[in-house]
Amino acid sequence: MRGTRKIRTAAALLSVFAVVSAACGRSATTSTSASPTGGGTTELPTTTTPGTQPVDKITWALYRETASLDPIYAFDYPENTVLSVLCEQLLRQAPDGTIGDGLASLDYPDPTTMVFTLKDGVTFWDGNPLTPEDVVFSLERNTDAALGGFYGATFSRVKSIEATGSNQVTIDLTEPDFWLAGELASTPGWIVEKAYVESKGKDFGTSAGGTMCTGAYEVGTWKPGEGLNVVRNDSYWNPDVKPLVNEIDFIGASDEASMTSGMLTGDINGVYSFSLSTLDQLKQSSAVTVTTGPGWNTDAFIVSSFAGALGDARVRQALSMALDRQGIIDQIYKGAAQIPKSLSPPGTFGYGRDVFQQAYDALPDLSGSLDDAKKLVQEAGAEGQTITIGMSSELANLATEAGAYQAAAEAIGLKAKLKSVSAANYINFFIDPAAREGIDGFFTTNYGDYADPAGLLGTLVMPDGSQNYSGYSNQQVTDLMNAARAEPDETKRAQDVADAQTIIMQDMPWIPNAFPNSTRISSSNLTGAVASFAYMFAPWADQLGGTG
Amino acid sequence: MLVATLLVSSFVIFGALYLAPGNPIAVLSGGRTLPPESVAVLEERFHLNDPFFPRYASWVGGVVHGDFGYSIAHRQDVSTLIASRIWTTAELVLYASLLILSIGIGLGLLSGLTRGATDTGVLVTTAVSAAIPAFVASIVLTLIFAVKLGWFPTQRNGVGFLDQVHHLTLPAFALAISSLAIVARVTRAAVREEFGREHVQTATSRGIPYRKLVRRHVLRNAAIPITTISGITVASLIAVAAVVERAFGLNGLGAYLVAAAASKDFAVVQGISLVLVAAFVLVNVLVDVLYAVLDPRVRLGARAQ
Repeated sequence: MRGTRKIRTAAALLSVFAVVSAACGRSATTSTSASPTGGGTTELPTTTTPGTQPVDKITWALYRETASLDPIYAFDYPENTVLSVLCEQLLRQAPDGTIGDGLASLDYPDPTTMVFTLKDGVTFWDGNPLTPEDVVFSLERNTDAALGGFYGATFSRVKSIEATGSNQVTIDLTEPDFWLAGELASTPGWIVEKAYVESKGKDFGTSAGGTMCTGAYEVGTWKPGEGLNVVRNDSYWNPDVKPLVNEIDFIGASDEASMTSGMLTGDINGVYSFSLSTLDQLKQSSAVTVTTGPGWNTDAFIVSSFAGALGDARVRQALSMALDRQGIIDQIYKGAAQIPKSLSPPGTFGYGRDVFQQAYDALPDLSGSLDDAKKLVQEAGAEGQTITIGMSSELANLATEAGAYQAAAEAIGLKAKLKSVSAANYINFFIDPAAREGIDGFFTTNYGDYADPAGLLGTLVMPDGSQNYSGYSNQQVTDLMNAARAEPDETKRAQDVADAQTIIMQDMPWIPNAFPNSTRISSSNLTGAVASFAYMFAPWADQLGGTG
Repeated sequence: MLVATLLVSSFVIFGALYLAPGNPIAVLSGGRTLPPESVAVLEERFHLNDPFFPRYASWVGGVVHGDFGYSIAHRQDVSTLIASRIWTTAELVLYASLLILSIGIGLGLLSGLTRGATDTGVLVTTAVSAAIPAFVASIVLTLIFAVKLGWFPTQRNGVGFLDQVHHLTLPAFALAISSLAIVARVTRAAVREEFGREHVQTATSRGIPYRKLVRRHVLRNAAIPITTISGITVASLIAVAAVVERAFGLNGLGAYLVAAAASKDFAVVQGISLVLVAAFVLVNVLVDVLYAVLDPRVRLGARAQ
């Protein structure tokens, strides 16, 4: 019962906050925040109006402080948000997810050869030119077992990475892999300077050693606990890019109430966030602008075992039909999320957009009538069976979702049991098969590394997918996904993935709950930060600056 | 005593974390599947597979030499990470202690030595503020003095002495408020009790001037319980500081302890816990020394009769 008490304390704390702040009434009447909210798939902007005025220094909050600036260990918001203003990849993801040239341009002389031609004049912060050796070194660090990086599996089809000219790097593949370009425009693709990394040894990426990249900002001072300061790199190699903000201090703000008051007073000037419990309060303030852009992440229920009632696709369908998604979106995301029809949010349609959008529009709504849902459960002979949901009552969002699933299950003639673990142990559902024993599923908010529906789908529908816990396998889906991975033509590739997704939505190995918007909250006198989820992988502060 | 306490607590801290569930590697990899070679490398580097006693022995050996181990999450020495945060907590606790000692004892004396409205006012105020936990105080103070009035910042430590005082004022008050009230009430009670003692009444009847009476007979004797309660509250601030540090975005040890525990960064949790225990013990030693100064009957190292 301890967990429950914690939640009550948290709720009490929040209500205290709300009541007192309402009494203080800073600006209840002057809301200027532009905030398209609510369900339905609306087209959200991927960028915000570019800033026009120079700004000396801003403070940007992260949900915790940055732990490492070594790209091979980056997998979470506090690392990605910072690395994306500091470092660059060979290819770059635009705010709308399109992959274009970055530090290099890419050619495919044949489907198993990728040739990168480096741009002229690219320099690191220390003035040294970018060489093919730096590129080979940076990419190969991913697969160096002694370093234990997180992205080794991404390079599974890579035979060799070699410098093949004074400005050329060639990747030879064992078989065609048109997903690799996306990965190289993402976290595994960040390029660092070889000589610098070697000179720093084990200090590289830590506050003692820092990093050396090519981006428009460079590391200023970094004191663990106090914050990580980045300064504009005035000798940036691309003369067309001139950021207006001189310095950004990144600080960890783990406490939502504290971060909220920091935003209201201007001690914090910006944050990328989703499911912030105080979002409504911030929207009320004239000191703060809330913008929502397309998210690339999916809030879903992972059916982790097909051994129980959820082994039958009809029961999964029925559960999905009865789920109150709008309730989840209102409670957890304060309206800043979309009602999903698939597992891949429209924000991830980085190529073949028309194909994806058409297929998405053609998908049926996930919710349905309770009678139909009950009928499906009866047909599957699952009436009265119990499903066990893994959750943590210490995490309010999970408790809300578990409650919604419990209600849905009971509404269609199933029974639902909750298995609560501590917040710290929730991650074990993802990594420890023993922790998953006896449960039918648990919740996740998941995203692929780049704007491609296949990025997330691949991990859960492929028989060897890293998040395929249930052993889901459908030969048709596997074939379509493999065909997509080997397909050079973007339209055809999109069609394969879209076709696979249509089948996946019938099989429903995971049940989508919501597509959280990428929410950017900033001081109302700042504008120009990228609004879409692309901020995780590509520079987002190039256009950031003061308003008129 | 100090060494024995630290040794026992180091064993308890290390043992508890050794038994705690959860795999640091899993947290490290963010749930991604790592190839077995990488896992082996990480386990080797962080000695995750060594048995308990060798690990404990090597940890204690390191701590003696100022080496608290290696943080998995930050890939840095724990001693460096602790050193960069310890002064925040020290300054915060010191600031709060000064508030408790000056305002708390001051109010207590004021209330104890006077009667009527002043006394009642202090009693009511302290009764209310004694019941305000630090996290509530943090929220309310932030809302009134930072968000509404804009007098104080809500985040970070500040640079330079004056700026730091500016940044730490709200947190220090949030931390001090309930302890301050308790110290005030105990001080008041102690002073009142001394006034009721026979020797004080005798002294009064002998016509000893009021000031001298208060200084020599009342305060001198009341000092012992006041020192005791002040010592206990100041020592307890070290633990409560975590709540306030989080609420004000300060980079202190307490907030870091919470963060490290959440990310299963065991070496950091062990290191900070040990530092906090050491600080707690040190404050208590200081209080013991003070007893001896205040009351010659107390001898250091003497056994209880």
